[in-house]
Amino acid sequence: MELLINGKTVSADVESEMPLLWVLRDVLNMTGTKFGCGIAACGACTVTVDGLAVRSCVVPASSVVGKKIRTIEALGTPEKIHPLQAAWIAEQVPQCGYCQSGMLMAAAALLEKNPKPTDADIDAAMTNICRCGTYQRVRAAIKRAAGIKV
Amino acid sequence: MRRRTWLLSAAGAAGALVVGWGVLPQRSRLGSGALMLRSEGEVPLNGWIKIAADGSVVLAMPRSEMGQGVHTALPMLAAEELDVPLSSVRLEQAGADAIYGNVSMLVASLPFHPLEDAEGDGSLSVKAGRWIVGKLARELGINATGGSSSIADLWDVIRLAAATARASLVGAASLQWKLPAEELVVKDGVIRHASGKSVGYGEVARAASGTPPGAVKVKDRKEWTLIGRSLLRLDLPEKVDGRARFGLDVRLPGMKFASVRLCPMLGGSVGAIRSEKGLSMPGAERLVMLPALGGSTAGFAVVGRTSWHAQRGASAIDVEWHQRPLGGLDSRQIEAELEAAVRTQSGHVFYERGDAAGEERSGKLVEAWYHAPYLAHATMEPMNCTARVAAGKVEVWAPTQVPEMARGIAARVAGVSTDDVIFHTTLLGGGFGRRLEVDVVAQAVRIAMDCGGAPVQLVWSREEDIRHDFYRPMQVARLRASIDSGGRVTSLRITSAGDAITPRWMERGLPMLSGPFDTPDKTTSEGLFDLPYGIATQRIEHVATRMGVPVGFWRSVGHSHNAFFSESFIDELASAAKIGPVEFRRELLKDAPRHLAVLNLAAEKSNWGGALPAGRQRGIALHESFGSIVAQVAEVSLVEGKPRVHRVVCAIDCGTAVNPGVIAQQMEGSVLFALTALLHGRIDIREGAVQQGNFHDYPIVRLAQAPSVETWIVASGRPPQGVGEPGVPPLAPAVANAIFALTGIRRRKLPLAA
Repeated sequence: MELLINGKTVSADVESEMPLLWVLRDVLNMTGTKFGCGIAACGACTVTVDGLAVRSCVVPASSVVGKKIRTIEALGTPEKIHPLQAAWIAEQVPQCGYCQSGMLMAAAALLEKNPKPTDADIDAAMTNICRCGTYQRVRAAIKRAAGIKV
Repeated sequence: MRRRTWLLSAAGAAGALVVGWGVLPQRSRLGSGALMLRSEGEVPLNGWIKIAADGSVVLAMPRSEMGQGVHTALPMLAAEELDVPLSSVRLEQAGADAIYGNVSMLVASLPFHPLEDAEGDGSLSVKAGRWIVGKLARELGINATGGSSSIADLWDVIRLAAATARASLVGAASLQWKLPAEELVVKDGVIRHASGKSVGYGEVARAASGTPPGAVKVKDRKEWTLIGRSLLRLDLPEKVDGRARFGLDVRLPGMKFASVRLCPMLGGSVGAIRSEKGLSMPGAERLVMLPALGGSTAGFAVVGRTSWHAQRGASAIDVEWHQRPLGGLDSRQIEAELEAAVRTQSGHVFYERGDAAGEERSGKLVEAWYHAPYLAHATMEPMNCTARVAAGKVEVWAPTQVPEMARGIAARVAGVSTDDVIFHTTLLGGGFGRRLEVDVVAQAVRIAMDCGGAPVQLVWSREEDIRHDFYRPMQVARLRASIDSGGRVTSLRITSAGDAITPRWMERGLPMLSGPFDTPDKTTSEGLFDLPYGIATQRIEHVATRMGVPVGFWRSVGHSHNAFFSESFIDELASAAKIGPVEFRRELLKDAPRHLAVLNLAAEKSNWGGALPAGRQRGIALHESFGSIVAQVAEVSLVEGKPRVHRVVCAIDCGTAVNPGVIAQQMEGSVLFALTALLHGRIDIREGAVQQGNFHDYPIVRLAQAPSVETWIVASGRPPQGVGEPGVPPLAPAVANAIFALTGIRRRKLPLAA
């Protein structure tokens, strides 16, 4: 099947029911997107599909053919860093960092839809699990990227 | 000299430390340059420091980065002494030599009471014990990242290694220029003289490698330009754009993927494979039977084209499981057995002072029972390991806290010598003690042996991770104290029961060092026997049980539940004495000035006693662990009967604060880690099987429930101590004490939201 990932058409010879997560990680070697639970509970595997945050561990690859898939690898680059990534560093958000790809993609989807989210909006959108407990820094970094004064 | 630093602080780590290591080492931990990887253009100056051609510094790094920030704080020590910017220090995985072993962690595991080695009061046996274990630790060279010990252990070593390297570099320039070394200054890795001469480290490195360092002094604290500053973490740029490589991200040509299914009943086995139809599914390639390895339960693995193919194949294998020979474990039954053990058995007495039982006959007696459940670690990165076994050689890539133990078990499983195992430590997606275990490494090597030389990545499902952890042991404790008419605590007796961790861990990972019977394990009683409070008579004992559930180290270990017991109970005593919790603790801490200062700082910064929104109350707790003292004040309300924590104020004395920003991160992380445990954390076992399996039934606190956390650090001239764990223990009692303030109900059993 052909997938539109980060602006490029990529072909992958996989079963139609194979979850997008594993196509990204184990077939295309795009390891920035992480495996955490396999049941869409933790959000480590979050990517955006047509701008919406989705948990790729439960999304069959065949269901996103023709849609725009964006992963952490294309959020920004070291040369042209995304405002969220800059905010993440300014607020020193990650600790172990494992869940942060998913956190950042969920935040990107949030700001795309809602450029000035309230605390309640952030609470509702950011349901990813972080075992290192970086949540308040995630909140601060989203506000910083959104230009919200705290 | 204070505890834990006795061995290392010959001349006082805060001041000048002169080469010579006055107290101990038969051989210095600086090591020789031959221990470092040989790379074109890089000159090793000792076992820790290389200088690259461009003048940048390569630091040997034995400790694992699992979020705690050591890959920033340790390079800060090297950059400080070498006078280079932090950004010019690169890390290189340290090899397998005893100099990279963790001495502090082992010395800290000795069950000595703090009073026994207080300054001027240290008994000979305590000093001898520390000396012997320190010496053994140095010889054994157990490289481990745990016990919140990375900075404490390497504080002197890395600074001295860097200062020694600097002295040789400056010495080489001095000889070249025929100018006295004292006239040379270094800035940003460039050596200069007032005459205008200058030379970069990269240009004199070769000459420096043959130049003796002479008398080396590490900097005095007033000369520091980096230590003590909240410098940005070095590992974050690659953690925000997907470049960071965790164990699960290892990719090798021709790599296969494997998925395990272990017997759902702990300690059980595979009776029979009824049908291998999973193997006929596309992408599934091979079935590998797995005996119990590294303390794991037995099971099997399916190897496939991707993790998903392997998982799908493994789920489709029809298998008959067998219960362990002793019958199925049940956590309710274990709890009853622990209660009985507390009532009827005498355990190891970790501390006794005066006649506590006799004292109980006078005054008001307070008694309470406390319970803590089994807990899983649930690191975000599921258990995984990548291995290749070909032509008698083994290569392993793993996110581990114990690379040498992992290398050892890889060799034992493959039947080769450890010299034939090449080991790579990756970044860790969380550790919390789970990655002090080597079960997954053993399994990955076993699977790779059947894969014809192809590399295999074993990835556990989240369900296997929750159901086959090495759990924080269930604990039960009975606490008894008597209070006189003036509200003074005159006696304290604690009996607790639960499995000991350390001997089981030694059996799994270091079988050659494990003895025929268990010696008392400090982790069972830490946080009970070593309380800072001035209580004149005490008897603190623990009954070490062997229930058969695999138990392991869980962030802050014994302190994690024992602080809940002891600090909740202290609050009960305050209430019984009709004295406020802060005032009551102040009186008990009048001979413990450091603890008192931390308590007072937390009380002040939380506005203790000040007004709060309606329906909200504060609770406080103070606890020392891993050399650091932490007090926390939690502001709590009840929402539909469940506790909601709004704000936590932390005060910490961790000695010298190397990177205050990282310390604040660790306090925040510890609070959230502890909050999940105290609200929701429980593992139930029925008929041998763990009942929880994923985040829907082993819930983790999320952003919407996260309190704000503030951290205040006590200024200190002492050597640095732990920060990764000491923020965990005080939270549960602080929250339980706030609930008592809100409701008058004392919660003595975790979790609180259950």
